[in-house]
Parts: sequence; structure tokens; C-alpha cells
Amino acid sequence: MIPNTFEYTAPTTLKDALALVGDGGKPLAGGMSLIPMMKLRMANPEHLIDLNRIVELNYIREENGELHIGANATHYDIETAPLILGKCPLLAETASFIGDIQVRNRGTLGGSVAHADPSADFPAALQALEAKVVLTSSAGSRTVPVGDFFVDTFTTALEAGELVTEVIVPVEAGLTGTSYQKFLQPASGFAIVGVAARVRREAGKITLARIGVTGVGGNSYRAGKAEKALEGTSGSEVEIAAAAKLVGDGIEASTDLHASAVYRLHLASNYAARAIHAALSRTV
Amino acid sequence: MKISGAAQLPFTPERTYELMRDPAVLARAIPGCEALERTGDNEYRMKMKMMLASFSGAFEGKVRLTDAVPPTSFRMVVEGSGKIGFMKGEGVLTLTAKDGGTEVAYDGDAQIGGTMAAVGQRLIDTTARMMIKRFFEKVAVEE
Amino acid sequence: MSTTTITRPEKLVGKRIRRREDPRMITGTATYVDDIKLSNMLYAAMVRSPHAAANIRSIDTSKAAALPGVTAVYTGVDLKDVGGVVCGVDLPGLRKPHHTVIATDRVYLVGHTVAVVVASDRYVAADAADLVEVDYDVLQAVADPEKALAPGAPAVHPQWPDNIAFTFEQKGGDVDTAFAQADVICKQRMISQRMVANPMETRGCVASWHAADRAMTFYTSTQIPHLARTILAGMLGLEENRFRLIAPEVGGGFGCKLNVYAEEAIVAFISMKLGRPIKWIESRRENFLTTIQGRGHVDYWEIAAKRDGTIVGIKVKIIQDLGAYHQLLTPAIPTLSVLMMPGLYDAHNIHAEIVGVFTNCVPTDAVRGAGRPEATYGIERMVDILAAELKMDPAEIRFKNFVRPDQFPFATATGLNYDSGDYANTFHKALDMIGYKRLREEQAAARKEGRLVGIGISTYGEICAMGPSPAVAAGGWESATVKVEPSGKVTILTGISPHGQGEETTFAQVAGDELGVPIDDILVLHGDTSIVQYGIGTFGSRGTAVGGTALYLALQDIKEKVVRWGSMLLDSSDVRFDGGHCIDNATGKSVSFQTIAAAAYRAMKIPAHSEPGLVATRFWEPGNFTYPFGAHIIHSEVDRETGQVAIKRYVMVDDIGNILNPMLVDGQLHGGASWGLGQALWEHAIYDDTGQLVTGEFMDYALARARTMPWIESDHTCTPSPVNPLGVKGVGEAGTIGSTPAMVNSVIDALSPLGVTHVDMPLTPEKLWKAINQ
Repeated sequence: MIPNTFEYTAPTTLKDALALVGDGGKPLAGGMSLIPMMKLRMANPEHLIDLNRIVELNYIREENGELHIGANATHYDIETAPLILGKCPLLAETASFIGDIQVRNRGTLGGSVAHADPSADFPAALQALEAKVVLTSSAGSRTVPVGDFFVDTFTTALEAGELVTEVIVPVEAGLTGTSYQKFLQPASGFAIVGVAARVRREAGKITLARIGVTGVGGNSYRAGKAEKALEGTSGSEVEIAAAAKLVGDGIEASTDLHASAVYRLHLASNYAARAIHAALSRTV
Repeated sequence: MKISGAAQLPFTPERTYELMRDPAVLARAIPGCEALERTGDNEYRMKMKMMLASFSGAFEGKVRLTDAVPPTSFRMVVEGSGKIGFMKGEGVLTLTAKDGGTEVAYDGDAQIGGTMAAVGQRLIDTTARMMIKRFFEKVAVEE
Repeated sequence: MSTTTITRPEKLVGKRIRRREDPRMITGTATYVDDIKLSNMLYAAMVRSPHAAANIRSIDTSKAAALPGVTAVYTGVDLKDVGGVVCGVDLPGLRKPHHTVIATDRVYLVGHTVAVVVASDRYVAADAADLVEVDYDVLQAVADPEKALAPGAPAVHPQWPDNIAFTFEQKGGDVDTAFAQADVICKQRMISQRMVANPMETRGCVASWHAADRAMTFYTSTQIPHLARTILAGMLGLEENRFRLIAPEVGGGFGCKLNVYAEEAIVAFISMKLGRPIKWIESRRENFLTTIQGRGHVDYWEIAAKRDGTIVGIKVKIIQDLGAYHQLLTPAIPTLSVLMMPGLYDAHNIHAEIVGVFTNCVPTDAVRGAGRPEATYGIERMVDILAAELKMDPAEIRFKNFVRPDQFPFATATGLNYDSGDYANTFHKALDMIGYKRLREEQAAARKEGRLVGIGISTYGEICAMGPSPAVAAGGWESATVKVEPSGKVTILTGISPHGQGEETTFAQVAGDELGVPIDDILVLHGDTSIVQYGIGTFGSRGTAVGGTALYLALQDIKEKVVRWGSMLLDSSDVRFDGGHCIDNATGKSVSFQTIAAAAYRAMKIPAHSEPGLVATRFWEPGNFTYPFGAHIIHSEVDRETGQVAIKRYVMVDDIGNILNPMLVDGQLHGGASWGLGQALWEHAIYDDTGQLVTGEFMDYALARARTMPWIESDHTCTPSPVNPLGVKGVGEAGTIGSTPAMVNSVIDALSPLGVTHVDMPLTPEKLWKAINQ
């Protein structure tokens, strides 16, 4: 339960952090995933770059119909910020499901996104929101749509020397209804299945449906078939159920101690129906 | 745990068979493999470094290729142990001509022990499948 | 001397008095073993096998020894003169493998210690442990007891290829005739799965050897300070009276610290070798792997009855997963299951068999309930299964079979004497509390809507207050010394070893009432073998019933002395001791307890047949165990879609005899229920086929949480125990024992309309979903 030896630096500016990370340093955000792995010696970084003192990465602001959230925003920040509760409630709702109070006080959005745990909660919401991730290195910044960012288990589009510095989500409150529904693994609290639904209903018809799923397979994904099955319908129980049935289509679900692939896929449908139902009830 | 599946490669079964039994190809394709040194007939000592997100573990072990039935099937045994645990995977690979290339079907068993097994249960399935996927992706880009 | 109106202090026993031990724990100023820092101290780290079964070909310690900061590295050969880990159980034909403190040529379980490094701090020690290179020749392991019994299974211990450590059989009455004449026989295979005890504080010890005095000072997180000292002194060849063992603040045990472990002897040995204090603190991961686990049963039950529901016979075959070795009480635990197999029922014909099986897993041993939860689970499930077979109400069938109040003390078919009880009365109370009749009506209505609603009953009995010495491995008596100081302050030295039970408060309550002194004038000490007279320790719900009785008797001795001194000081032979004063019955003159104490030590004048001082010591041997009982009823609903269980109401009525502090009793019952619900719904220490513990951290091992626990409605009846003068029975394990069967019976009841008759624990959502859809 004791990590291997490591060097530790806590820069106070993004510029300094990027230089250190560019040199091969391992970024440390909330540490809620990294530090336990280090204590088990399953992670052995030689040089930890603590990002937590970088004030310029901690912000939530609205610009041109989008919310820009700095990578250092904690889950607690996101759960409680008036701007997020008002303009992107899905993110606040999702944050409230993460871990426990201590984890939410320290864990950050940037860290969670960069870590890309296949059972993490945020990826499902970000997929449903069609969010964008800003990646920055000493050479500059680029913006990647979240669908291209989450590549595989613990694998993202981050290149060596890059940090996640910002996440961008749309402001649509009043137009869309959203919900995150999660089936918790009873020991760890991770998502055995987590489904985020974002829907828009106009003149009695669903004009937009976005469904982000986590926990089912190797990484989060958008349930495209389920989305298409829902769009154009009126969102009746039968139509919701039919769409929800497609949410695991084509996905290789994983099997572990806590849930078999078959049960996971069943839960995915069940929780997708709940998420869609709740999201629809929140549309105008 | 059981592992089974199939991958599609853009070579003929004969070429696929040749590639998959070539230690130089295996050394390039096995994710994290740093060196594959011949220790006997179709037996190799392996040094690998598994890097997955923040996890990193150095492993030393063996790769053995047996039960050769060219160009149709063979058995591969991969064993490795390191500080974070040990693993042993054994499976039969069957090659069939399909869609202008070759379908490699694999069917076998994997055992994990040590720290990895005790704390990483939820990740074993997804990690194993991801490594297998990467393996075949790397083989696919060989000439 | 005064003529006084005596203000009698308020009675303490029976009150919800806040614990005296809590302020130091809540403010973080308690001293646990990891807080002990001795000068010149070194840190030990264990090197452990990652394989469940392997021959050790070689161990290379050179890289570890060369690391700066490392003082020494030891392997099995270095500790060959240390005695083996002790199993205190004798059963006919018991095969006891020699359990060296460090593995020598072979490892038998994952986590088996193969070497130990000693370094200047715990960080260097952890790095050094990683540098020890062990070459293993991996062997086949077996981790399931029934697989271990199957022909061709790998031998855990090569000298016993059948993997059987012992067999045991017990008969009562005439079970063959009973079964032959029965109208109905029900059979069921049931598992009580392995559980991790999970005290909040892991194990740990600090050893400090002083060669010139031939003296060992040993701090360890234990439940049995004196027994551990005797055993460790024996293992190390040390003189018992020069071995001081101190249990500092102990952060929970639940039975897993009712033991003496290899690591304790290893650490003591190293201190002797190096002449320096040595500390070892177990990590949580090590605790999961190498601290004893509980349960581990595969049980085959049979119950025979008449058509009217009268139980005529009970059979059980217990396949006990013992693990790779015997720790202190390992083989004895399943014999406790046999004792309680008839439960609260008047059944005279029993037949029990135990097969104790070796597996390549950590040993099982006493963990909260120790054999009784498994038995109660079994009999309560069988009664429900029988009720379903006979289409009888499960409450009705229980009333039909209860031992009646006029049958006490009741001789059971398993050789016990239940002390006191009125089972029907307690059960009625619980049924009334939950509104049983209306609940069944609501259930019928809910079933028409297709909802899966269940009502689960557990009427449990338990055997505790361990116990009459012939029946308890190291003796079952207990000791207490009461020392009154010259100032009139009181110090109690108790041989029990509380680690959360609260006796620093409850014993002060008892003493305060007996002596008429304020509770804060009373100090309760325990856990230090140099301060406290020999005691047996805290386990088996015995602290109050046995330890409290020794205290009570010592207090009576003090009172007797006080009366003699008071008589002398009042110059009267007609005195009484009341409200903290000795009072002359004729004149009303009085003298206070504090004045008497001062006089007893100043000894200006000494009464006839008395000595100076005011101290009393008692050792008390109980004549019987005690037998708490109760009824737990759980109303639940199972979600058809996901298999999740929602507990709607949980009612428990427990009879634990007289209650000293209701708040502490609540705590024990709530905590016990969280254990029992854990076993029923969430917890399972799972080993895979190669002997790897795959639930090795809290990531995968699910304990109850505050947010997953139901609200518990708790009440009591009181049938005092005739076994001890306090009339108390014991409550530490009762909640655990009563809760599990109620939860499982509730879920099976919910699923019964679908034809489900049994599902094994833990009742995970996926298991129930599969049962619903089968």
C-alpha cells in the first residue's frame, strides 16, 4: 500500500505544467484513480506533475451558447455551480452520482475525461451532450469532439505532452430534457451501466435524441441505433421500449464478477428506458 | 476466464500462418513487448511492459507455439509475471480463408493472479479484449 | 461522621449513558498500535506468495538486503526454531498440518509469507520487499471444498491427498425412526459463503525485546491479550511472566483478532534477533488475503415432519472449508453449528455430520457468530421450506414447534441446556409490530398486480457468553479486580478485552450502582498483561455475561469489606450500605464510602478479621452458556426488471435478558444486522479455481453502507438469564444471527409465486433476475 519512489512538482501555471508533461511527467489531477493505483504499485510514474495549483484551469463560463469548463473543475464544483445547474443540468446530475463526497471534492472533470475509465460516469453524459474536449500542449491547442476523444479502454486521443484543459458543452436548457440513470456496482459505486439521455421534443415529436452509455463495454459510446429509433416518434412507452432495446446493439458487453454481459445488456436497455423517460418528462 | 473471438486479416491463410509464427512479428505485435528471445524450438523468452492509462507493469515470461498444423491451426501459450501479478493465457488459433483474407479464430483460457487479480477484476475482460484487438491490428499492418 | 439525608445517586444500569471511551476516539487521540513509536524502531514488511500452491525453488534476498536502509532479510530457515502457529482445538482424528511461521519449502495459499524484510521506515521496507526474488514451481491448487473432496483433486497437503482434516458426527434421539415415520421430508443444499471480517483497523504489532531483563514488551491489536501472551511466549521459548503483552486501542475485531498469527511471532523474533523494537502494520490488501475469514459452509439439510407441521427430525451434513491451515479455533467452529441446529424448536431427533476440508485459501475461524449464523440460517430456511411444502403459514409452523416456557431449562437434542425463554411471546410482539396479518393481505393484493413482495421471518436462538471451561478451548471463566484507592476513586481491572463493546462504560455503570459512587469516579482498565490479572478475553458475546459477572462478584466482596470498616467506624453492628454510605440503622449516623476508603488505607484501626486496603479479585466460572433469542421480520420487494431488493420494513424483537445500556445494545444489534444483511445480499470472499482471491479490495467486496441499510425498528422482551446474577445474556452476535435468515426468507417468499424455492447467498440482483426469468 506504499507507492514506489517518485519525483513531485506542483507548478502554478499551465505553461510550466505543459513543459513538465512534455518532458514525460505524469499529470496528477484529483488523484482519485491514480493514487490508489500508485499505492498498489500498479502505476509507477517517475515524476508526478500536480496540476491542482493551476488556478487558471479552474473556471466555468458561458460563451456563445456553450459552457466552457476548465479541467480543474471538481465534481463538486460541477454538481453545485449555478451556471451548470441552470444551463447544463445533465452534467450536474451526472456529477452527483460519482463516488462519494470525498471523491467529488477532489476528483476533476479533466482528470476523469483524460483517464477514460470504462465505468466512469462523465463520458456517458459528454457523449449524449456531443461535447468537445480541448487538448493543449506546449505547441498549442486543438479541439476534439468527444466521440473521437474516447477511443478505447483507458485510451483517448491525447498525444504525448498534451493535457485536457477544457471541456465544452452546449447550453440548451429549456430546449432539451436530460437525465442520467445509473446502476451502481455495490462495492465500488462504479457504473455497471450508466445511461445519459438528451432529448428535444417539438410539436409532440422527438426531434433530437442523444444517448450516451458507459459501463457496458470497453468504453463509452453513443447508442446511434437507439437514437434513430427514437427520433421522429412521439415518445410513447412502446416507442421508448423499442428504442431502448437497441441501446446495446453491436456492443461487446463485458463480463466480470458483478455482472455478466447478458445482464449488462439487459440493464442497459432497462436504464436507457428510464433515462429516456425521465429526460422526456423534463422537456417543455 | 474464457477468451474467444475472431479477427480478420488481409493475408492468405498461408501468409497469415507464417506471420503469426514469426518471432519478429510477434515481438512487434504483442502490446508492450520489448524483446522476444529464442530459447528453444518455438519457445521464446519475453520481456514486456504493459502500459495502460496510468498502469504500468514490467513482465517477464515465455511464449510457446505448439501443436502446429500448418496452415490451419496452432496453439499459443503466453505466460508473464511481474510485480503487479502474473498471467497465463493459452489458446488455439484456427485460420480459415474468408472474404479475400483470413479469419483467425481464437479460443482459450486466461488466468490472472497477484495484485491485478485481486483489485482489477472489472478491467480484466475489457483489457484482455483490447490487447487482443491491438495484437491483430499490429499483425494486420505487416507486409 | 454525619447524620445525613442520603441523596441516593441516580441508578446507572439501564440508562442510555454515553460512552466514556468515545471522547478519545472521536478526537483522534486514542493510541492504536500504529501510533506506538519507540526509539530505534525498525519496520517489517512481509514478502508474500502470489501463488496458492507452489514449491519454493529458491529465494534470492541479496538485492533486498543491499538496498540502503534495509537492516535484515529473513526467510523460513532463519526462523526454524520458532514454534508453529497454534491450533487450540482437539478433535478425534484431527489432522493438524505443521504451520511454520514462514513458509520453508512450499506455499499453501496466496499471501503465504515467504520472507520478511526489516528496514528503517515502512517505505524502504515496501521497496525492499519488492526486491526479494522467489523462484516458484507452481502447483495445481484447489479453492472449493467440494472440489477438494472430489477424486483426483490436487492435494493441499501432500500427506493427506483426500484433503480431509477431520470428520465429526453427533446424534441425538432416534433420527432414523423419526425420518422413516415422517409424513414429509424436505431437503436443501445451502451455502454460507466466506466472509471477510473487515475490522476498521487491520492487524499490527510492535515488539520490543530487552535482553538484559529477558523481557518482551509486545503491543498487538488483539481480542485475547493474556491467551496471546501465553501462546507467543511458548512459540518463542520465552518466560511467560517476563512477556508483557498490551492490546492498545483496538479498532474492531469481530473475531478475526481472536487469534495468534504468524506475523506476531515473526515480529517478536526479529526484535529478539536485532535487539531493537520492530513494527509491522498490515495493509488492507494483506488483511483481505491473510486474516482469517468467516463461514465457508456447504450444508445439506433435511427436515422431517408430520403433516400437521410438527418437526420430528433434523439432519445436516456440513462441508466446512477450513482453508490451508488451522488457526486458533478453525476446526471447532462448525461444531458450534451442530449445537444450534434445532434452533428454538422442540425437536428431539438430530443427526449431524461435519467434513472439515483443506483448501488452498486463507483459514476460516471465528467471525461474528462463529458457526451459529450458519446453523440458524439453515434451520430457519428449512422451516420456511417445510411450511411452503405443507402450505402452512411460516409464522404458524414456528408457533407450533417452539419450546414452551414451562419446558425451561430445556435440554436440547444436541446436548445443551437452554437457560430461559418465552419464544412465542417475543415472536407475537414482532408480528404485532409489523402488523403481520395486514401485511399478508397487502402482499396478496400486490401479487395480483404481479409485484414481487416478500415477508421473511427468522426466529433465532443463539448460544453465547462463552462459556463453561470444559467446553471452551482455553477455558471460559473470567476475572475482575476492583481496587478502591485511598481517595475513594475506583479502578476496575477486567480480564476481558473490549474493542468497541463499551465495557469502560457499562462496567462503570454496574460499579457505580453497587458502590454508590459517581460514574466518573470509576476507571476500567484492560488489555495489559502486566496490569490486569489473567483473563480470557472478548469474544463469543461474553464480555458482560461472564466478565460482568466476575466484576459483580468482586463488587460484592468490596461491599462486604466496606460494611466491616463502616461498622467499626460507626461503632455499630447494625449497619447497611446504601447510596454510597454506610448507615447505622438505629441512629441514622453515616460514614461515606470515600471516608471508609481513606480509613482502610490509613489503618489507624483495623476491624477484626480484616486487612488494610480495599481490593477484591474474583475469577468466575459460568455454569452454562446463555441463550438469547428473538424474532426478526423483513418486508421486502424485488424489482422484476433488475432483481434489486428493496427493504421496506425491518422489525426486530430481541431478548437478551437484562440490559445494562440500551444505547450500546442498539449499536450492537444495528451493527450485527449490517453484517447479516451483508451476508444475505452483498458480501462474498470469492476465490477463483487457482486460489486467487478475486474480491481482494473494497472495490469488489461490498459492505453495507449507511445509504444501503434500512431503518431498523427494534424492541425487546426480557427473560433474565438464571446463569448469572446480572441476568444478562449477551448481544454482540445476536443481530448477525437473526438478520440473515429473515432477509433470505423474505426474498424467497417474494419470488415464490414464480416457483422459486431457494437461491444461495449473496442474493445479488443478477442472481435474482436469473431466478425470475428461469
